[in-house]
Amino acid sequence: MALRDIKPTRSELINLKRKIQLSERGYKILKMKRDGLILEFFKVLADAKDCKGDLLQKHARAVEMMALANTVEGAIGVKSAAFSVKEVPQIALKSKNIMGVVVPQIESSKVRKTLADRGYGVLGTSTVIDETASAFEELVEAIITSAEIETTMKRLLDEIEKTKRRVNALEFKVIPELTAARDFIKMRLDEMEREELFRMKKIKSRNTA
Amino acid sequence: MGVNISAPYIYVCTRMRVRKAKLLPKEEYMRMLNMSVSEITRIIGETEYKQEIDELGTAFEGMDLLEVALSWNLAKEYQKIQEIAPGTLKAFTQDYLRRWDIQNILTILRGKVQGEKTGKIKEILIPAGSLDKIMLDRLLAEDSNDRIIELLKGHRMYAVLAREFPAAKESGSFSHMENELYKQFYAEILGDTKAGIKGGASFLSYIQLEIDIKNVKTLFRLRADAQAPEGVREMYISGGTLSPTDFTSLNAIRDSNEFIDQLRASVRNESLHTLLDEMKGRKAMHDIEIRLTRVQLEQMEKMSKRNPFSIHPILVYLEKKKYEVFNLRALARGKESKLPSDKIAEYLVM
Repeated sequence: MALRDIKPTRSELINLKRKIQLSERGYKILKMKRDGLILEFFKVLADAKDCKGDLLQKHARAVEMMALANTVEGAIGVKSAAFSVKEVPQIALKSKNIMGVVVPQIESSKVRKTLADRGYGVLGTSTVIDETASAFEELVEAIITSAEIETTMKRLLDEIEKTKRRVNALEFKVIPELTAARDFIKMRLDEMEREELFRMKKIKSRNTA
Repeated sequence: MGVNISAPYIYVCTRMRVRKAKLLPKEEYMRMLNMSVSEITRIIGETEYKQEIDELGTAFEGMDLLEVALSWNLAKEYQKIQEIAPGTLKAFTQDYLRRWDIQNILTILRGKVQGEKTGKIKEILIPAGSLDKIMLDRLLAEDSNDRIIELLKGHRMYAVLAREFPAAKESGSFSHMENELYKQFYAEILGDTKAGIKGGASFLSYIQLEIDIKNVKTLFRLRADAQAPEGVREMYISGGTLSPTDFTSLNAIRDSNEFIDQLRASVRNESLHTLLDEMKGRKAMHDIEIRLTRVQLEQMEKMSKRNPFSIHPILVYLEKKKYEVFNLRALARGKESKLPSDKIAEYLVM
């Protein structure tokens, strides 16, 4: 807002003062939101670190178990047992609110199954198939948990970034410009008042002379 | 053994012993553990598996070629033994190998349910039982599982398939049907052995041993499963020395040592007793399973020495051949997956 476009009037000054007040209030709130979001982010970050570690560990175990299953049962045995899997885990997406940020809450159908529910017969398979199935069930569970935490983290980061930009815009652009405009109007009004006073004095002295 | 043993029996049993002697010895596996995949492949390619590797070379490659070649060789060998076995030995061998039919049929049914291509299903069939390649191809050519089951009319599996398939189709899980098929398989073998056929008693003693080992393995597997299933009885195979009541009550015991003590008291098998004593404190399921398999093979070997012209030499060879294929595949797959040699060795049945 260029200063020359500003009308140095009292009503404009009142308007600007209102705007400054509003901006400062908004600035404080946004700053608090940003700090709050950062705190929340660090909480989620700790969970994410644990979750990622857990996920990597479970992935490594699942890969190792698959290698062992291929070793013991052969690709033929593993493929034959894999044909027994009839359902893909169903995922229900809900949402929760963290300081105004909508983050997902993932609820999945039961991934871990009992020996009887896995679809293959116990009498025609070996224990390595059980262990491999169990390792992959655990991995799928870890992936679902990890997906929830990582999406939450991503959304929080986006919101922190957005809030930070707004705080900076208010702090370094909007409020300084409004303050400068307010000061300019104040200065202009004071100047006009002094001019008026001087003019009155001049008129008064001319009349007395 | 009496003196009136017919020449074909002596001939077949001797041939089985000769074939068994040709199987790879433990030292060879130990040597292969230190080899690379290509070296193992070369060695397998130079042995009796050469013909299958050459035949399948155009359709498969790498580790899949090796695995399919090993399976085809096993199937061919089993078919050959069924051809040369005389009289009741042939009937018993065919009975024993019917487990491959169950595996093949279940693979076809499951593959069809999953919408897999016929070629993909065919790759993983092992025609080692009574259903030969031609019959399996006919079954594979059918689009609906109901038609596949109709085609099996007259086969021993048909009754169970016809009874269990509608429920399996409805629930989408074939586990109950699979368990029923195996239970029927053992029940029929037991029936055949007790039908007064000559040599049935020898076969019965082995089948009882196998059922005992299978039940013990199942009990250990159920223990390893965090949530024990409700229908434990469904997984019990009758005909062994373990009673169904013992099976259910053993599954309910949570303490490992108490479980082993009770199991030891319930099973009437000396070699199993010794093994169970050694198993106290062991946690790894695969270790327990492999040890049980080794006990089974040792017992079979002893039986075969006691009854040299019975079904036992054939069964020993069938099992040892199966484990040779198992070990070679494990070695090659394990090396391909870069598993350490000692880890692979844990899983070998030597």
